[in-house]
Amino acid sequence: MDQENRANGEIVLEEGTNVLDASLPKPEEREEEKKVLWEEPGYWKTQWKRLKKHRRILWFIIPAAIFTLIFSYIPMVGIFYSFKDPSTYKIVNGMFGSISSGAWTFQNYIDIFADNGDIFFAAVGNTLLINVFRLLICFPFSIIIAIQLSELKSQALSKTILIIICIPNFLSWAIVVGVWWGLLDPLRGVFSFINVLAPSTGDVTTSSGWFKPLAVIWSAWKGAGWGCIMFYAAIMGIDKSYYESATLEGANRLQKMWFLTIPSIMPTIALLLVLNISGMLGAGFEQIWTMMQSDTTLKDTQKTLDTYIYEISVLDQSNIPFATALGVFNGVIALALMLIGNKITSKTLKRGLW
Amino acid sequence: MKNFIKTATLGTKNFFIRLWNKIKRRFEHNPNKIKESKLDFTLSIVNVVCLLLGVLIVIFPLLNYFSYAFNNGYYNIDVVFFPARPTLDAIIYVMGGEMAAEFWRSFFNSVIITATVTILSNLVEALAAYPLSKFDCPFRGGIMMYFIITMLFSAGVIPIYVLMDSLSLTETIWSVVLVSISNVSNLLYFKTFFEGLPEDIEEAAKLDGANDLQMFFRIVVPMSLPVIGSCCFFTIVGMWNSYGGAMLFISTNRDAYPLALYIYTLVTESGMIRGDAWVEANVKNIQSAGMLISIIPILCIYPYVIRYIKSGLTIGSVKS
Repeated sequence: MDQENRANGEIVLEEGTNVLDASLPKPEEREEEKKVLWEEPGYWKTQWKRLKKHRRILWFIIPAAIFTLIFSYIPMVGIFYSFKDPSTYKIVNGMFGSISSGAWTFQNYIDIFADNGDIFFAAVGNTLLINVFRLLICFPFSIIIAIQLSELKSQALSKTILIIICIPNFLSWAIVVGVWWGLLDPLRGVFSFINVLAPSTGDVTTSSGWFKPLAVIWSAWKGAGWGCIMFYAAIMGIDKSYYESATLEGANRLQKMWFLTIPSIMPTIALLLVLNISGMLGAGFEQIWTMMQSDTTLKDTQKTLDTYIYEISVLDQSNIPFATALGVFNGVIALALMLIGNKITSKTLKRGLW
Repeated sequence: MKNFIKTATLGTKNFFIRLWNKIKRRFEHNPNKIKESKLDFTLSIVNVVCLLLGVLIVIFPLLNYFSYAFNNGYYNIDVVFFPARPTLDAIIYVMGGEMAAEFWRSFFNSVIITATVTILSNLVEALAAYPLSKFDCPFRGGIMMYFIITMLFSAGVIPIYVLMDSLSLTETIWSVVLVSISNVSNLLYFKTFFEGLPEDIEEAAKLDGANDLQMFFRIVVPMSLPVIGSCCFFTIVGMWNSYGGAMLFISTNRDAYPLALYIYTLVTESGMIRGDAWVEANVKNIQSAGMLISIIPILCIYPYVIRYIKSGLTIGSVKS
């Protein structure tokens, strides 16, 4: 049993071992850990035995593997476009037809920071700003809602409220943005009085100063209800007897909330926080792009990384190698953030992000 | 019929009697109950008020905006909660007027995309998750790594666009379908759930002579309806509402627009047929009507699936 697990690359906790002890390799095992998985004694034999045992269900994996191969791995080969000289390179004859044409260069990656550096850093700055404020506002907001819901005495009421506040999450961004544009319409909207806050344009939806706050508020409106479901489920999973004994000890509601509920859902909070931070570079293409359509100047001043990539690679296809380089660079940074996040959670929470 | 009426009246009567008893019990003096302190009582009142305010914040914009769908465009200024001058003109215009052809075409495009992706993607991922959920599946770590890498890293939009272009699938709905089929997070949900299924039933079915496909569809699938339900729901909602992928692959061919992208063109007013005086006065009402019809399918399945969601999510959050 133990050996099988180790062959799988999984850590097994023997009963009675301290967690801290198990995470450190024991002195006599340190030599073995350096060995590659398939060099362990008996590895191929066990795998062959398992292969024979499961030979009749293993083909179930093949359809998914083929789809993944064609639509995820083959595009990765297209990374080579980013190493081509844009002045001499043209894509002809399908994906790989032109692999030998044009000169190889690393200039595209340097151009991200050099030639188009201003746009790039502005886009990264906008993306980070929007995401940091989302994290500061939407995230605590959903935790508060979840705690409030769990404090209700009637389960039926809390379920009903949960169902209602989840509705916006199931609307597309076009509808959410359309609804709010309608409400804030300076001529006929119900909330048109808010537009005094943007004296320069007379409309908060077209003013560039209000773009980021609105993006944050609207994503809170759309996602807060849905975001609280995870926390709500975690709170519902806490043993009710803790609350009873706390009540007998004379704790009031606020104390129970602060000393019991919040510490119990801390692992969930930490996990989702790390997950959010790992996705920091994507600001939600559909939302930002739709919001930008209200005014032409917004496309220049409020560019995020997603919309920048979309603009140069779909709308303006004049420089394919540079657009590919930007996409690949974005992918690599996102991958690095995810790996760091996974490392953090598996160190502190003993479970990975996936 | 008589019977039905009798049962219905009796049922209603019983319901009200039970409700009345419940309310009475709430106000009766109960000496065993631990008395709530004044602070706790105030807190619970504040809590309920805050939550109801939150519900209002969610409901009010929707109610206000979708009232325009039923309102006469010349009286839009009067709408607060409900239509001021009720009429079905805007809805009829969207469903049967000038824009109807394009609206219904995009509607059916969305139906085809959503149905194909939901069935194919969940089938393929559930099939793959079944052997991977076996504890002693050969090369399990390696195969999982093969799938998870695609979730973590993608080469960006250009290579996938060029791939679709070389398959001459751009400007058709099939590019959107094919690119969405591989869905690794659903694979992980399925795998986690299958790992928790009891082995004994499968052993028993094997002894009864079920072959492997039969075992999967007759034993494993019926036992995993909660996770399949929630994964299907997420796929349906995701495909129905997303238009980023369609914006990438479909630009000039308006016949291939999915509904969400069509709604986007409505909202940004590039898809509006202008000129008519009535249309000019009813722009907002027409947009609202189009959006309202587009969310009806989601709202129809929402109550049925809401009970699956919580179980599905807890499954996802608990890793074995």
